[in-house]
Amino acid sequence: MSTPALELTGLKKSFGKAEIIRGIDLSIGKAERHAVIGPNGAGKSTLFNLITARFAPSAGTVKLHGEDLAGLEPFQINRKGLSRSFQITNIFPAMTVFENVRCALLWSQGYKYSFWNLVNRSRELTEGADRILDQINLLERRNLPAGTLSYAEQRALEIGITIAGGADVIMLDEPTAGMSNTETDYITDLILKVTAGKTLIMVEHDMSVVFGLADRISVLVYGEIIATGKPADVRADARVQEAYLGAALEAEH
Amino acid sequence: MTVSDPRTDIPKGARPEEQITTDPSKPAQRMRSGSLVLTLAPWVIASVVLAILPMVFTNNSALTIMNQMSITIVFALAYNMLLGQGGMLSFGHAVYAGVGGFACMHIMNMSDFFSTIPLVILPVFGGLFGMGLAMIVGAFSTRNAGTVFAMISLGVGELIAACSVIIVAFFGGEEGVSGDRTYAQPFFGVEFLQQIEVYYLTAGWVVVSAALMYLWSRTPVGRMANAVRDNPERAEFLGYSSRWVRFYSFVASGFFAGVSGGLFAINYEILTEENLNTASSGIILLVTFLGGVGFFFGPIIGAIAFTLLQTVLSLSTELWAFYAGILFLSTVMFFPGGLAGLLMMHVPVFKLGKASSLIKPYLMTLLPAAIGLMGLAALVEMTFHYRHGATGDNEMTVFWTTFDSHTLMPWLVAGAITLIGLGIAKVTAPALREAWSEATTAGGAS
Amino acid sequence: MDLILVNLIDGLVTGLLLFMLSAGLTLIFSMMGVLNFAHASFYMLGAYFAYQISIALGFWMGLLIAPLVVGVLGAGVERYGLRRVHQYGHVPELIFTFGLALLIEELVQFIWGKNQLPYSVPDALNFTAFAISGNSIPAYKIFMIFISISIFIGLLYVLTKTRVGMIIQAALSYPRTVEALGHNVPLIFMGVFGVGTALAGVAGVIAGPVLGTFPGMAFVLGSIVFVTIVIGGLGSLWGALIASLLIGWITTFAKSYNIEMENILTGLGISKPESLDDSIFRDFWSLTSPQIADILPYILMVLILIFRPAGLFGKRSS
Repeated sequence: MSTPALELTGLKKSFGKAEIIRGIDLSIGKAERHAVIGPNGAGKSTLFNLITARFAPSAGTVKLHGEDLAGLEPFQINRKGLSRSFQITNIFPAMTVFENVRCALLWSQGYKYSFWNLVNRSRELTEGADRILDQINLLERRNLPAGTLSYAEQRALEIGITIAGGADVIMLDEPTAGMSNTETDYITDLILKVTAGKTLIMVEHDMSVVFGLADRISVLVYGEIIATGKPADVRADARVQEAYLGAALEAEH
Repeated sequence: MTVSDPRTDIPKGARPEEQITTDPSKPAQRMRSGSLVLTLAPWVIASVVLAILPMVFTNNSALTIMNQMSITIVFALAYNMLLGQGGMLSFGHAVYAGVGGFACMHIMNMSDFFSTIPLVILPVFGGLFGMGLAMIVGAFSTRNAGTVFAMISLGVGELIAACSVIIVAFFGGEEGVSGDRTYAQPFFGVEFLQQIEVYYLTAGWVVVSAALMYLWSRTPVGRMANAVRDNPERAEFLGYSSRWVRFYSFVASGFFAGVSGGLFAINYEILTEENLNTASSGIILLVTFLGGVGFFFGPIIGAIAFTLLQTVLSLSTELWAFYAGILFLSTVMFFPGGLAGLLMMHVPVFKLGKASSLIKPYLMTLLPAAIGLMGLAALVEMTFHYRHGATGDNEMTVFWTTFDSHTLMPWLVAGAITLIGLGIAKVTAPALREAWSEATTAGGAS
Repeated sequence: MDLILVNLIDGLVTGLLLFMLSAGLTLIFSMMGVLNFAHASFYMLGAYFAYQISIALGFWMGLLIAPLVVGVLGAGVERYGLRRVHQYGHVPELIFTFGLALLIEELVQFIWGKNQLPYSVPDALNFTAFAISGNSIPAYKIFMIFISISIFIGLLYVLTKTRVGMIIQAALSYPRTVEALGHNVPLIFMGVFGVGTALAGVAGVIAGPVLGTFPGMAFVLGSIVFVTIVIGGLGSLWGALIASLLIGWITTFAKSYNIEMENILTGLGISKPESLDDSIFRDFWSLTSPQIADILPYILMVLILIFRPAGLFGKRSS
């Protein structure tokens, strides 16, 4: 078997005495779409933040394509091909929609900290940014300040920023939180479209999104993964039913 | 949220017309040449104006004022690379300009070396020294933006300003360091003996540095400075280290601040502790903010307006700093976009072709308001004269009117003007507000 | 030994005075996230108001009334100025307080002129409390120590033992939660701002007679106060106390002991260059500690920020 895209071994995180993540082992294969679900306070966002080095783990390792990420800064991890979105919309509100995407392209196109290139002159940058705007259906909004977009559009833009850099491992933190049904369907289609062929790891509450998108699902409860597997298997797992899904599925029907 | 407002990120020349170049449905080439003209136009106009100005204002004091303006423009633009584009508030930026200036003075005094370089390239050395200092300080100060950065900038600024009386070898103690610019190698025969020659040198540097700073804002690191300003955390997940982006902005700003210091050295041929201290740092913050941090050209307007205000007001009143303080505070409170923000507010109105509908309401409100404020200023001046005037000297002149400040009549007159002026403005203000909202809405009769 | 004791007392006076300013500043900062640049200006206003009141009603009424007036003014600034600017973000807030500091200085010059005012120690305290081997300690210094310590104890009591203090402490860390519990957080903010500036006012009233009452007095002390709370750790009251005392003592000792850089350098085994005049380090060699006493706090701050960016007791770095 080839190296997994992302591999977590014995990952733990404590804040003071509270142990939020209690030892997680998880391996996510290339081009797999993996969803992490679990009740509120299970530690899903913390797990995301551990993987992307927003927090330092108390124990355990995170490996991206077999490479240990310990001690790296978020921007270094990003350069290794891992990109993420945030639970709360996290864009550059004062800049135009186009600028938002173009900034996300700069590093991957090798511009680094250069001050001898003019961004307006680069065909690749503008065309690349427009291509992504086209994918996320925001081409018409390209010259508006990002802060003036509607909520769903801002979430779409954030997904656009996240994928723009060409990362092959994409992490989305509750991409459909706070959306209406139509908006949710729209974003779900969008995610399917833009992450084709990439590894996707997402935290999500909406069960229809999870079962529609994910190849495999992990259920996180109180900082531990109690089940990992295909959606059907997870759905059938008695422990999952008891801990989480039962209540959620009942509420849905 | 930082100082910017939503319109801010589109500096001059980068208006949507120009960005149409990238519309995939249009042939890019044709649009690009069109945008080039649009981009270059302001620069050409500015250069021409700078070239013609000394033919309009020929006397030496006008030249001095214009030179002062030019130096302030370079410094304010450099400062805005930090504040407006990078979101970093510095309370000690004068030290980079000052150190650059002192370095230039020392080069002027190294006669062997100085006689081999033309004076026009001296500001480059100022820039390099400013940049060097910025690299040292930036190494630890750019870890954070916000309050911590502001505090470090203040501390370092105070430290270096205090050093000026201790490290006499470099800062010349209380007398400062003076020199003579004319010892440089003549530049195409020009020895810069005359004010007008210095004017063209300074003006040339303004155009060059402004253009370079503008171009900087269009480079990858300049664009990322905006991104880091708005959302440092997100920028990290785009592969950029917020700290390094800040560092590069800081160093570049230090360079251009140093250039302005070099221009100061050339113009005044002396630098003292005053060029370094917190008051100078405060003034440049004031100038930049007054002009507007959200637009590239904001600091230019700020520098021109402030220099004019300073020269005109300081000639006619002792209280000019007091008025400047009030103006600054009301800008922060009511017009955080500064003068540039106020101007740019009117762009949509012009686009809708409704500018003419605003003229009358503007006159109806602003004219009485201005008269009222003049009355208020008269009251302030009279109070000041009454309290601090020499005994027996009861005569004073305000707004070309001479009177005795110890009699009742002038107080009544000034009070009445104030009340009536501000009163009318208060009455007509709602009409202006209405006209404004009408003028900024598309559609309807114009 | 005796000289050390005298310096300890002098340093304590300076340190406690600094603390009266830095305590309010750090409270305001941790609560509202705003570093009030004009804080020292309220200290100056305290001195000027007290002078004006003392002419009519004497020193003691000045001590009583002036801080109240300053506190009310401070609360007004928060209510009608800062709150308005708050919507634009932190940087404009900082700029606002900076502009306010400039304006207050101009205003003070406008009303009272540019010269130092004859505001002096009241007769009742104008005597020598005791002497330590020939060095007399004025009663006024003891009075200053007494006032500052009682304010510190009072503040500690209010913050830790009263209901209001509990709410303030909670609002420091969890303003949203406190607001959700039904407390009027804007009112608390205004109150804290008012009390903080009133404390600065007290400092001004008692420092005015010894340090001089002149338009530049805010500026002289202002930046040191910032340095103090940065060293102590932004938002930490204990840090502010420790840093204030530290700075008070360091500057006092540096001024009274004439330590020369030359001795230090030769002590470190670095030999003095022959022709000092040509060396760019000549000023460095001839440095003495009184010369650099006033910039020691800044050096300390820069060092702290490099090696411990959160300050001595700070928890957060921004």
